[in-house]
Amino acid sequence: MIVPLTHLLILASILFALGLLCVLIWRSNVIMMLIGIEIMLNAAMLVFVAGSNHWGMADGQVFALMIMAMTSAEVSLALAMVVYLHRRKKTVNVDEFRELRDQ
Amino acid sequence: MKTALELIILLPFLGAIGNILLGRFLPRRVVEITACSVIWGSFFAALYALDTYSAPAVVEVGAWLTSFDLKVPISFCLDPLALSLCLMITFVCGLIHLYSIGYMRDDPGHVRFFALLNLFVGAMLVLVLAENLPLLYLGWEGVGFCSYALIGFWYKEVKNATAGRKAFIVTRIGDIGLAIAIVWIFKVFGTLSITEVNRMGQLVPMEVITALGLLLLLAAMGKSAQAPLMVWLPDAMAGPTPVSAQIHAATMVTAGVYLLMRMFPLIGVSAVVTGAIAVTGAFTAFYAATCALAERDLKRILAYSTISQIGFMMLAVGCGAITAATFHLIVHAFFKALLFLGAGCIITALHHEQDIFRMGGLRRALPGVFWPFLAGALCLAGVPPTGGFFSKDSILTAVWAKGGMFYGALYLVAMFAVFLTAVYTFRMLFVVFGDRLAANSLEPDLHGPVKPLPGIMKIILIPLALLGLVSGIFNLPAYLGNGLLQSFLAPLNAEGGHLSHATELGLQSVAAIVALSGLAVAWWYFGRQRRAMRIARAAQPPTGVTAFLQAGWYVDNLYSLLFIRPYKRLSSILWERIDEGVIDDSLDRMAVQLGRTGQGLGRWGSGRVSAYMLSLACGATLMVGWFAWVVL
Repeated sequence: MIVPLTHLLILASILFALGLLCVLIWRSNVIMMLIGIEIMLNAAMLVFVAGSNHWGMADGQVFALMIMAMTSAEVSLALAMVVYLHRRKKTVNVDEFRELRDQ
Repeated sequence: MKTALELIILLPFLGAIGNILLGRFLPRRVVEITACSVIWGSFFAALYALDTYSAPAVVEVGAWLTSFDLKVPISFCLDPLALSLCLMITFVCGLIHLYSIGYMRDDPGHVRFFALLNLFVGAMLVLVLAENLPLLYLGWEGVGFCSYALIGFWYKEVKNATAGRKAFIVTRIGDIGLAIAIVWIFKVFGTLSITEVNRMGQLVPMEVITALGLLLLLAAMGKSAQAPLMVWLPDAMAGPTPVSAQIHAATMVTAGVYLLMRMFPLIGVSAVVTGAIAVTGAFTAFYAATCALAERDLKRILAYSTISQIGFMMLAVGCGAITAATFHLIVHAFFKALLFLGAGCIITALHHEQDIFRMGGLRRALPGVFWPFLAGALCLAGVPPTGGFFSKDSILTAVWAKGGMFYGALYLVAMFAVFLTAVYTFRMLFVVFGDRLAANSLEPDLHGPVKPLPGIMKIILIPLALLGLVSGIFNLPAYLGNGLLQSFLAPLNAEGGHLSHATELGLQSVAAIVALSGLAVAWWYFGRQRRAMRIARAAQPPTGVTAFLQAGWYVDNLYSLLFIRPYKRLSSILWERIDEGVIDDSLDRMAVQLGRTGQGLGRWGSGRVSAYMLSLACGATLMVGWFAWVVL
């Protein structure tokens, strides 16, 4: 094993911070927000895989597979919603969709 | 014996239940006949019980409350006291029921009336025959409820409903005493059977007996309208007249006296209790007699006379003369029922006029009412040789026989009350029946001609009048041979001094002279020509002593000042200041504050997803930072 766990954790943190920044800043496009969420999930997966490698247990990898499956489902659903939203208002800016707000 | 007892109790209840359930679907005549026949059936059962009576018997009809030590079976005790009262109650109530047929002829509420009347009798019989205290209490409360419902029978007028409530509430004050006494008796004796409790009196300290006796006296004060709880009875006149007759003669107000007589073997050993009972009785007899002197309402005069006569009975109980008390109770039932029913006739005939100063000339207009009423008045005034004379005299003799300063003073008070009784009775008689002077234009006219009365209302008066006149033979004084009641009730009496025949005769002649002089005074003030003068004077508003007496010594006002107004003020403080001011207000303010906070927080819910995301990220960062701070 060449790459130490610390490095992997640092890499995962950076990835997570990038994803979070993407979500927070790029709000004019809901697709970019989804991508940011994906990046954060990938960072989490990376931590799982690193931990699994470090302690020699398969559980982490199983979780990574689970997250992959869940992510694909989530993305397909989210993209369907994006299409629907776009059809309604001809925009993908999330701040335009405020109908659920308490009047 | 058991069957007879069961019949005595069950028949009135059956009548009541039958009339409550089916009365509305039956023709009027059937309802009336059922109501009357059950009471008369009960009377005949009581007669049968008297016929087969040999010794006091306790009959257990069924189990009721049973848990651990507490055993309260439905058991009845037939002893001379209960038996003689049963006979009197069923007989007098039977007559009153018959009279009610005539009196309630045009009333649409006759089913309710007769059902309640039956229930009233049933409850009183339970009270009288009960062998244990909870059963007695059941009858006691049953009587209270029925009187409440019947006094407020014409509940559509606020005045009547208020009178019913007043009766209920005032007697309730006394009932508290009885309830506490019952629980205490169970605690002390471990049993609630009256016969057993009466036998175990010497096992407990005197202080306990005194306290129990005073509690029972409180109960009797409420039920029997004795001072200071007498205020409900004059107002109870709001009910239909047969109800008044029944309350006064047989079923309600005698219950208190009966309770004290029943428990006398227990409480009679305490000199404090007997003294308190005697003082209550004597004072009430005097108080009510003075009030009756100035009262103008015919029925209220009779109500005060009842309070006064019950006072005499209490005085007799206080002297340990149970026979005299029972004797007067029974005779009083006859002549008071008679007077009330007669008053009912008069009031009906005069189109519901109750003011005696607006009556007059009825001796000629209603001779069928006048003569029985005269007999009742003679009894009430204690003119010899009526039953009332003998019974009242036996009480006075008993008081005299006790001797000593204390009872001597009570004797004088009682004698003065006898005098007042004769005065107010004949004042009423002269004013109501006396001839009006043709030339006197000051006298207000009657409301049209006298209304014809149903025959039954007048017929009922006759047996009662005869009984009132001759009931003295039930218990003749010793020099005329021994009294029936005296030997029948012998085991119940406390040890009292026996007087020689000469003393007894002397006392009787004193009582007779006092009563006759009262009659003479009444004649002096209200006979013939003077009657018109008094009536003219009565047109002005009362002043001085008259006003004081007419207001019943202002006792009502005193109670209103002492209890009702402070109570109302306290309630209004509790309501407006405490409940509305503190509790409601603080809750309201809290709700308003919470609402405002919510609205403030609600501003955050802008609906902008990006803002939510930002706050989520900030929160998560804070949490993670805090964890890191703690762990590292």
